[in-house]
Amino acid sequence: MKFICSRDRLMEAISIVQKSVGVRSPLPILDGILVEADQGVKLTGYDMETSIECLVEADVPIKGSIVINARMFGDIIRKLPDEIVSIETSDNLSVQIECGSTHFSIKGLRADDFPKIPEVSDEQQLHIRQSLLKEMIRQTIFAVSTDESRPVLNGCYLVSDGSAIEMVAIDGFRLALRRNEIGQNLPEMKFIVPGKALAEVGRILTANGEAMVDIYPSLNHIKFDIGSVKLISRLIQGDYMNYRGIIPQTAETTITVDPKTVLSAIERAVLVITSDDRRFPVRLSMTDDETLVVSANTDVGSLREELSVAMNGSKIDIDFNPKYFLDALKAIDEDEISIIFNGSMGPCVLRPIGNQDFAYLVLPLRR
Amino acid sequence: MKHVVFLVDMNAFFISCEMTRNPTLKGKPAAVAGDPIKRTGIILAANYEARALGIKTTMLLNEARKLCPELLVVPPDHDFYEIKSAEVMALLHEFTPIVEQNSIDEAWLDMTGTEGLLGQPVVAAQAIMATINQRLDLWCSIGISDNKFLAKMASEMKKPQGITELWPTDVPTKLWPLPVGAMYGVGRKSAEKMNRLGIMTAGDLAKLNPDYLISLFGKGGDAIYQHAHGRDVLPVVSRLHDSVKSIGRAITLAENVSDIKKAKLVLMQLADEVARTARKQGVIAKTVQITLKYTDFVTVTRQSAVLATQNTYDIYQVGCKLLDANWSIDKPIRLIGISLTNFAKPGSEQLQPQQLSLFDQPEQSKMVMRQKQVDLAMDSIRNRYGQDSVKRASLLHKDTDN
Repeated sequence: MKFICSRDRLMEAISIVQKSVGVRSPLPILDGILVEADQGVKLTGYDMETSIECLVEADVPIKGSIVINARMFGDIIRKLPDEIVSIETSDNLSVQIECGSTHFSIKGLRADDFPKIPEVSDEQQLHIRQSLLKEMIRQTIFAVSTDESRPVLNGCYLVSDGSAIEMVAIDGFRLALRRNEIGQNLPEMKFIVPGKALAEVGRILTANGEAMVDIYPSLNHIKFDIGSVKLISRLIQGDYMNYRGIIPQTAETTITVDPKTVLSAIERAVLVITSDDRRFPVRLSMTDDETLVVSANTDVGSLREELSVAMNGSKIDIDFNPKYFLDALKAIDEDEISIIFNGSMGPCVLRPIGNQDFAYLVLPLRR
Repeated sequence: MKHVVFLVDMNAFFISCEMTRNPTLKGKPAAVAGDPIKRTGIILAANYEARALGIKTTMLLNEARKLCPELLVVPPDHDFYEIKSAEVMALLHEFTPIVEQNSIDEAWLDMTGTEGLLGQPVVAAQAIMATINQRLDLWCSIGISDNKFLAKMASEMKKPQGITELWPTDVPTKLWPLPVGAMYGVGRKSAEKMNRLGIMTAGDLAKLNPDYLISLFGKGGDAIYQHAHGRDVLPVVSRLHDSVKSIGRAITLAENVSDIKKAKLVLMQLADEVARTARKQGVIAKTVQITLKYTDFVTVTRQSAVLATQNTYDIYQVGCKLLDANWSIDKPIRLIGISLTNFAKPGSEQLQPQQLSLFDQPEQSKMVMRQKQVDLAMDSIRNRYGQDSVKRASLLHKDTDN
């Protein structure tokens, strides 16, 4: 095998693929990147959960394939002195990397030993804008649970009901829901994508332009086809929670406010909350119908801040984990939101005004 | 300035308290013992007339009766002893502001610098003893030294109504001949361990290398070594109200219990009492512990960490879990107890607010609130109409079997 390509393009591809490569796996081959040279060069990583493959344009005088340790491969390419790289293998699995007057020789592994990537049929597909999927992931992924005792919650639930798609994440204490009407005829499907894989997808997707992404689900796997990058992930099996039933239709108190003012007030409150555990709450309370008081009181200090709001219903006095509020407020781009409270023990729901596409629910802290 | 520390030890405290309100007990062998009608007889305190006949604390009642058939027995009334104890402590506070209560019937007094006012230590001690006797009709022994350990050892040397001085210069002659087990702070187990190693007296201990004692007994080894030399660096500290370390109740059952349901009923009553005390004192416990004593007198304690609570039902639930895990039907119990430890003060940073979860049982959070309200309501009824004015329905039929 021999190919010549751009150092920067190769480096970019390695850093994308590296995300699906294990570190100190039981088998050395799993710590490697499969390099296949044919028309161009294809890099593949697979940690038995997620596989990412990435195409790099290259001049390929001799076709072939090899597996190279991902960490070493990345470190070498990053340190190369020139823009053009030549990579060549010899019979005894050694890899020659040449760049300017630099010549590396490293040991590779047999490509045949690399695990087989799951096949995902191209039968069913969702075809949506990359920027939309990226935004949906951004607005939900923070609420994915990392508690492994409930595996179904370790992923985002992705539902297509024919005309709209929804993405939901729940960690037991909060719920983030993003819906998008597509209008066109969509195949109906629902599946749970592991949060880790979806986070990678979110990073690879572009936020700008009209570029599209194709999503192919199968029984056990899902493939995201994003231009030169393809990501295949295991799906999480099981029944997702009935999230519709969780969001209350009631409202004891409704506040209308600019999310940025609440966001910065809570960010200031967090300054006196030194530990990041749940020890110290942020308290939201009201002195009258127009003033929301954000306060925090810890052993290092306290904050009190008054915000002008429009309020409907009974006055509140509720404690929250500040992180849960910050995550949601950061995910909202609109200038006005309604915050609906249901007493000091009931769920609190945040929604942008005039945009029913996003909803966020958080449970309070019991005093 | 020379330190002067007293240990005031009330003699035969429980029975003496009883004698103050029941003069017929005076001059005759009498004892406080677990309810004599029920079978639970352990001598809790015997007066000196009874002790003269060989009756000792913790002796079984029927054994005591063998020694002295005409022994007068009074059931314990701990509330009354608490009141008497508080009276004693208040009186001691008239002699010095620094009083450290060590138990219901003894306290250390820092008498440093009182000589100008009260005279030599022995004179001051005589004044304290006389005042306690005149005003409260109770007797005490007083140990005098320059630290807490020696004061305590001194108080043990002459009872009743003894005043004993034990200064560091007296240590080789008075302390060193004592067996190690007689030293304050050396328990039965430690004494056995020392004896096995050939360490028989306090004097033996004093000759050892302190590092060796530390290797045997951990940090406590150093204290034991210092004590053997008559040294004790711990100051007399007025114990504030908030330094309560645990709240516990235990009762010896009227009959051996092998039915866990019965044990749980008793546990409910005990949980109710400790939780009410916790609420009164404004403390919130993070550990619940149960104590079980089996019929063979083997005692086990088991504890569990809990989300900080002072709620009767919470405490009862944890107690039941511990009971379930440690119950075996072929091992009946004769004593059951529950205690709260590891306190967090309300509003302290140790107290974590609880994040509500979508997985909470429906209504569970409301249940918790309701349990709190039940506690509040019961507390206010009891505060107004007395402890027995309201009780949990599960305990209604209990009076007959216990």
